[in-house]
Amino acid sequence: MSAADARVLQRPHDRLRRRRLVNRLLELLAWLAALLAVFFLGVVLWSVARRGASALNLDFLLKSQQSFAPPNVEQGLANAFVGTFVIVGLAALMALPFGILIAIYVNEYAPRAIRSVVNLTLDVLAGVPAIVIGIFVFGLIVIAHGQSGYAGAFALAVLMLPFVARATIEVLALVPDSLREAALGVGAPRWRATLGIVLPQTIGGVLTGATLAVARVAGETAPLLFTSSLVATGTQWDPSQPLQTVPVAIFELSESAEPADHARAWAAALVLILFVMFTSLAARWLAARSRRKIARAGR
Amino acid sequence: MPRNGTLVRISLVAAAAALVAVLVSATAGTASARSTSGGVTGAGSTFVAPLVTKWMAPVQQQLGLQLNYNAIGSGGGVSAITNKQVDFGASDAPLSQFNPTCSSCVQIPWALAATGVIYNLGGLPHLHMTGAVLAQIYLGKITKWNAPAIKKLNKGRNLPDKGITVVHRSDSSGTSYNFTDYLSHVNRAWKSRVGTGTAVSWPTGEGEKGSSGVAGAVRTTPGAIGYVDVYYAVHSHLGLFVMKNRSGKFVQPRTKGILAAAQLDTHPAKDGSLSIVNPPKSKKYRNAYPICTYTYVDVQKSAGASARDIKKLLGWAISKGQSYGPALMFVPIPKAVRAFDTKQIKKIHS
Amino acid sequence: MTSLDVSTDAPRRPFEGRRVRLGDLILQGAAGIAALGALVLVGLIVWKVVQGARLSLSTYGLPFIWHNIWNPVLGHESFGAGSLLYGTVVTSFGALFLATPIALGVALFLSELAPPGIRGPVTALVETLAAIPSVVIGLWGLLVLAPVLRDHVDPALHTGLGFIPLFGPPGSYGSNVLTAIVVLTIMILPIIASISRELFLSVPVELKEGALGLGTTRWEMIRGVVLPYSRGGVAAAIILGFGRAIGEAIAVALVIGAVTQINVNVFNPGYTLAGIIANNYQGASSGIELSSLVYCALILLVFSILVNLFAQFIVRRTNRRLGGRR
Repeated sequence: MSAADARVLQRPHDRLRRRRLVNRLLELLAWLAALLAVFFLGVVLWSVARRGASALNLDFLLKSQQSFAPPNVEQGLANAFVGTFVIVGLAALMALPFGILIAIYVNEYAPRAIRSVVNLTLDVLAGVPAIVIGIFVFGLIVIAHGQSGYAGAFALAVLMLPFVARATIEVLALVPDSLREAALGVGAPRWRATLGIVLPQTIGGVLTGATLAVARVAGETAPLLFTSSLVATGTQWDPSQPLQTVPVAIFELSESAEPADHARAWAAALVLILFVMFTSLAARWLAARSRRKIARAGR
Repeated sequence: MPRNGTLVRISLVAAAAALVAVLVSATAGTASARSTSGGVTGAGSTFVAPLVTKWMAPVQQQLGLQLNYNAIGSGGGVSAITNKQVDFGASDAPLSQFNPTCSSCVQIPWALAATGVIYNLGGLPHLHMTGAVLAQIYLGKITKWNAPAIKKLNKGRNLPDKGITVVHRSDSSGTSYNFTDYLSHVNRAWKSRVGTGTAVSWPTGEGEKGSSGVAGAVRTTPGAIGYVDVYYAVHSHLGLFVMKNRSGKFVQPRTKGILAAAQLDTHPAKDGSLSIVNPPKSKKYRNAYPICTYTYVDVQKSAGASARDIKKLLGWAISKGQSYGPALMFVPIPKAVRAFDTKQIKKIHS
Repeated sequence: MTSLDVSTDAPRRPFEGRRVRLGDLILQGAAGIAALGALVLVGLIVWKVVQGARLSLSTYGLPFIWHNIWNPVLGHESFGAGSLLYGTVVTSFGALFLATPIALGVALFLSELAPPGIRGPVTALVETLAAIPSVVIGLWGLLVLAPVLRDHVDPALHTGLGFIPLFGPPGSYGSNVLTAIVVLTIMILPIIASISRELFLSVPVELKEGALGLGTTRWEMIRGVVLPYSRGGVAAAIILGFGRAIGEAIAVALVIGAVTQINVNVFNPGYTLAGIIANNYQGASSGIELSSLVYCALILLVFSILVNLFAQFIVRRTNRRLGGRR
């Protein structure tokens, strides 16, 4: 074999080595990227936990808040947790039926042109920044009627709507036609078939969409700043009054001069993160279950 | 329906019910602790927030009222009371500073304090400063700690060759109003270029939200300078400038200095505003701290159902309430101002 | 949350030709009203925002968008969003520039490279990053990130890349444009990553195995099969992340230094449209200032709608080019 031949035989080998090297390098970069993401999360969680640890006790969850109070007064943030619970709950109650109806229309009734218009509208709505929604609800409700838990809930509902609607659309589309035809086969009217047979199949997916939407809005500050921030201390359940919420409480407490207030803010942040994390994980688990169920039903 | 599906559903519902039960029982206790005789809700200045919060417990005990306060800044307070969203608005800037303003409100000066200028230079406490030099710093003309103008004021102190990082408020703030009012009084360039306001177009520096933001930025930035209300300033454990007043004396922002400055204007204008910034050279104001301010409470003249409670609260605030002030660096308001306030309170009706 | 594909395939009509009952009419009516309601909602939002901005619109007109001034002092009021628009664009593109490679790397890791035991937990962790409320990230950025950047990262960047005007002499500001960019990066990273991850996972296994069977390395397979296949969706995911970055108000307001100035140097403070609204809306001292803030919100609204439409356009174009495969 001549030297030239040997070199020709060598070239594919070099190329292969180089390709393997590039492959290795990029795999390494991917690992680094993942590590970086986890690192950021770890740093933020660690900072929050460290600063909030001193305030996290049972009192914190159960006693109510007095902002700027002297440090030795027993207090917690119960009013903020209650307020978030009420407002987010109301928002879900507003957004869910609305979103499900939209999904039913898009999937079961709409002609193609209208379907794309509605889908486009939902996407546009999903892209509107939360602070613009806050200004919108301020102009629509607060200027005339003052702040209230209802106004805050409405703002959050507007944020949740596209998530709920789109998730329901996706899951409705997954329900096979064979199910609808089977319902007709037993003589069910169309509305009965849709509500009683098709829709229940999608409960899992709808719950997923709703849970994800809740996780998304539970931490929103901007829309609540304009609609439900002038609150009375002491725990309130009445949504016709402005209710304290966790993100707004964090925002306010961080402005105080007392380090005890800061610790409370961080503790609230920790609870909020854990709550949202738990709901997101629950949503994913529900989604996987629902997918499995539909796949089984279709067979 | 698979068995485990039902189980999951039941457990989810049970968990939700348990959560609701815990919340209701927990908060039922606190709810019943609330006073049944109504509440007064206010919003506004963060400057006066420590004092108002201090009042909450005694007001509850002595007047049977629940006092609520949201420290969202002077501008927020004025707009809240203008839109009748609260019972009272608290602002360090007089109503004339806002446009549109609450023309149907009475303005009542109800507390008196000062703005401190803080800085971060370890090991160099109680540095001297004048208004003119401060204005130059905030205009961006003086940028180093060892500039000749600063060295002249602090002979013998070891000023480092370090850049000055200017920090100011990013949100609309009564403290900013007090500070810029003072700078406008002492420096013509500042007055024409920037002016006075709760928010201005700052020539240099970085903006932070709230006094806590400013204090936080100064604390983490060696060589930084900022302004916060005096309660914050003293509690921040940062350097606090000793300001030169027009009588030539260097004064710390303490009760004595605030009391002396308050003598400058004890007769509120018809709209209730007072200006005690930068008192002139005179024996009377020898010990005056030059950056002092009144802070106001604004109430709608026709206050509706809560009028009686509001009047009770304000009457208490300008008399008994003042005794809670000194611990928080608030000086009791002079008798003449209190007399004016009493007349203003009478104007509130339902 | 992956529905970027606008399903425009032929509508199914299993109920065609049935007798129409009252219940059917009611359901269809209600559903139709709901769908109409969504349209009305968007219209209401646009109307209310335009209404709030009317004073500023009539006072300053279109030039408001590029004039660089923000003076709220009574008697000297003058407003223009030039520096805010600049800040919004710089921070959003900066965050996009940093977040996209990391997010794609994470997505590829989670879909192709991760050992099965790690896949689930790391996916959950990345999604938790999205769960952190903006106010918390803002505070963390202010108290923890900003000093670190100012003391260590900014000088290093200036030393290494100082020839680029972006990285001019670092001031002593912790709150500056770069801090805001890093905070935004952390916020949009999980959005881009999770959508891309699902897209990569939906690539048909046969295509991937086919490529590997031909002897490609894993990276070549990704580059040749996975990425082109999901190109449209990934582009839309990136654009969605961009839209999120534009609209982020609270976190940016806390760390960007709140100064209305245009400065190429990212180590200086800046301001964004969303940030100035968050800081000043509640305390605006004049009607014209309030209206100017709503004008900023209007610019934001138009901007985000355009970005969204652009994302849809990209998705549709790539779907068409891929020949209706999806």
